[in-house]
Amino acid sequence: MLNFNSPIKEEKKFNDLNIIEVEPTIKINLRSSKREFSTKIGKILSILPPSEANTSSGNEKFNLLWLSPDEWLIYSNDKKMTLDDQINLEDKLFNGISKLNHGAVTNVSDHWIMVNLKGNKVYDLLSKSCPYNFNEYKKKKGSVAQTIVNHIDVILHNKEDNNLNLFVRRSFSEDLWLWLNDSARFI
Amino acid sequence: MFIINCPYCGERDQTEFSCGGEAHIERPKQPTELSDDQWAEYLFMRKNIKGIQFERWNHIHGCRKWFNVVRDTSNDKIHAVYKMGERPPVK
Repeated sequence: MLNFNSPIKEEKKFNDLNIIEVEPTIKINLRSSKREFSTKIGKILSILPPSEANTSSGNEKFNLLWLSPDEWLIYSNDKKMTLDDQINLEDKLFNGISKLNHGAVTNVSDHWIMVNLKGNKVYDLLSKSCPYNFNEYKKKKGSVAQTIVNHIDVILHNKEDNNLNLFVRRSFSEDLWLWLNDSARFI
Repeated sequence: MFIINCPYCGERDQTEFSCGGEAHIERPKQPTELSDDQWAEYLFMRKNIKGIQFERWNHIHGCRKWFNVVRDTSNDKIHAVYKMGERPPVK
């Protein structure tokens, strides 16, 4: 959590489409296949990790995304969360899970860039270079998809109707950002 | 291009996956007792048949899990998908 500089510095507005990078929020990757893990997470975050594929759980503070049967991603909704709060949360998770051998806790705040896409044309934009079938995805609030957009790995979290958060690796973020802006001009 | 039903994530496009070659090849229990030819047979020789083949696949741009696929290599029709460690559902 040392370098929060992002290659994306602007908000882009198109017809029926807004693209903006969400301020750096804490993102923590969790891995475990042990039973005690879920209860520990429940105690610390007050949310249980979803066991159903391609779903998420959350409260007003955090979202917990399903990535694979033994992997989840936490990200914060709170943009005002201070660095101390973030370190406290990471420590709590690390001491409650990693130290007791219930699983692995990794801070990936700098690994993923979160971009918010909002507007009626969101799925038109993504469908330009994404093989994923969004028919079921867009009907269900909170659904999660890991797929590729323009050959770049992304995680898509459906927040509400036509409003989703896209996670992309920092090193690919500038490339994807340029592609999103370029493609958005033609929809 | 074809659709693969990942046992963890559901139906996805083939571009999200990567093929890991033939499945169910057992590592010899005593590698030191094998001749060079037998070791080379285990390491490099694959059936590569035209027809129904058992393969390992990885959902590399999704859940990153390995699983097995029974695929007809002549027309890419997938007959079965099953998790690692499970018995093949078709012979």
